[in-house]
Amino acid sequence: MLRKEVNDLLTQTGADNPMGKMFRQYWIPALLARELPEDDCEPVRVKLLGERLIAFRDSKGRYGLIDEFCAHRGVSLWFGRNEEGGLRCPYHGWKYDVEGNCTEVPSEPEESGFCEKIKLTAYPLIKVGDVLWTHMGDKDNRPPEPAWEFATVPPEQTFTSKRWQECNWLQAMEGGIDSSHVSFLHSGGLKSDPLFKGAKGNEYNHADKKPIFEVTEAEGGLYIGARRKAEEGRFYWRITPWVMPSFTMVPPRGDHPMHGHFWIPIDDENCWAWSFDFHPVRALTDEERQAMKDGHGVHNEYVPGTFRPLQNKDNDYMMDREAQKRGDTYSGIKGIAMQDASLQESMGPIVDRTKENLVSTDNGIIMARHRLRKAVIALRDNGTMPPGRSNEHQKVRSVAVVLDADQPYAETCKEDLKSRPGTKQTSV
Amino acid sequence: MSESSHPTLLSSCALAATAKEAQFRVPYPNSRVRASRIFALDQRAADAMMTITEQPWQGAHFLTVRVNVDPDKTAASDLPLEKPDGSPADLAEEIEGANVVVLISSSDNNAGAAEVIAREAFMRNIMSAGLVLNEDGDAMKSSAVVNTLRPFTSVLVIATDQDFIPAMLTALRA
Repeated sequence: MLRKEVNDLLTQTGADNPMGKMFRQYWIPALLARELPEDDCEPVRVKLLGERLIAFRDSKGRYGLIDEFCAHRGVSLWFGRNEEGGLRCPYHGWKYDVEGNCTEVPSEPEESGFCEKIKLTAYPLIKVGDVLWTHMGDKDNRPPEPAWEFATVPPEQTFTSKRWQECNWLQAMEGGIDSSHVSFLHSGGLKSDPLFKGAKGNEYNHADKKPIFEVTEAEGGLYIGARRKAEEGRFYWRITPWVMPSFTMVPPRGDHPMHGHFWIPIDDENCWAWSFDFHPVRALTDEERQAMKDGHGVHNEYVPGTFRPLQNKDNDYMMDREAQKRGDTYSGIKGIAMQDASLQESMGPIVDRTKENLVSTDNGIIMARHRLRKAVIALRDNGTMPPGRSNEHQKVRSVAVVLDADQPYAETCKEDLKSRPGTKQTSV
Repeated sequence: MSESSHPTLLSSCALAATAKEAQFRVPYPNSRVRASRIFALDQRAADAMMTITEQPWQGAHFLTVRVNVDPDKTAASDLPLEKPDGSPADLAEEIEGANVVVLISSSDNNAGAAEVIAREAFMRNIMSAGLVLNEDGDAMKSSAVVNTLRPFTSVLVIATDQDFIPAMLTALRA
């Protein structure tokens, strides 16, 4: 249960809301780099944290993320002409550069200096890995560029996708740190998904359906350890890092690529679910990359030409009751990503947490909310920068490991939980 | 029935998941008051717990064990338990009918008391949760506390600030 005022505090992400101000302290993923594939390519509409923006790549390869609407009469610059170093409104020819500066107002004499008085809001857009990142906060307090391992390994070792999820970011993110649902909702996937199957750890998962959880605070967020019985006197641990505000990594399985997510608010009733796969020491195989493109693992299939999942609420997520009965899938919905999204969207656009009945195994979620609330209040009241901005906080890994029964995972796996370039993941 | 009046909509999830439909969720409470029993296993844990006992909880009982005991020689009735007002309490009476037990600890010298309480909870199929207060961030020290509580709890949280106690108990409707 969460009091309404706290639920509002954590779920509202507009520019004037405390949580919105906190999201604006981070570099957040804005677009896939392949959405702006070449200089002077077509601009892309982007909505982030409740702000409608337009992204483009100019003639010199510079990325821009500016207010979507022309300052003249409010026309959407999505209709604009991306040419000769800027985006030109097709209505009366006003032109803007990647920093939102108006560089031409054809109707006015150049000498009048009129266009110098016009400027659209602009945010930086930088390419790190497969992703274009933006920072929508104070430019004088910009954090270091993102250092997440999935975005900094060589391109052949990583794959990123995103999908539109039709609910508030927090209920989507909470699914990522809710390890106890895996034994139920995703139980079918461990046997059949090409990006999960075959790992020794899967046997422990199937043999022990009642994991025991240990939640440990980390400087940047949390570690959530799920412990299952392994051989005599030993435990199989799956350790999920959560870095504030919305990054998680799923514990690995065998030598399969590692994967994880970001959840970024589009507005308060929609979010982007970003999903990545990478291998720390080898290129993804053609088969793995194809499986990701085909929507396996943490990825999904799309309505062609969009980032909307093929299975969505307009088609009841292609519910298959027969598959549910047979046990092919636990919920009747195909695919890990859409199994999560279907249920999270069914809660409503912003779930009413005053009605929920949490239990002890939900302590990862309880602690994450606690950390978020404290950070939001510290920023609002004292201007304290939240955790998760520093590169050190971002250099994390998930872990799957078998330990002796008396070994504490956080200390024993301290090095394994850090990203280490050129070092293989710790996995079972 | 004509096709147009068929009650099953083509996109029922799309309709059901709107903000407008969320207004029609059943407005009545969906759970009854829980019986939560919160045990502080050492002085520092007790000090932290005592700062919140006056808040309007939904039937939570707060209890303290101030001395270490030998679990093999201590029956439930012999565990020296204190209520917030300093009066004695009986473990078996307190734990009977409880829905959840929370053990709060900041040190590793209370394994005996933890075992006695957890044993009583286990016999009654009551979930035990452990909360380790590690305010100074000393990993080695928290490891010792974790190892003490691990055999007796189904979930363990290592928290660096005592504000998490009311946050957790509120979330659990204690």
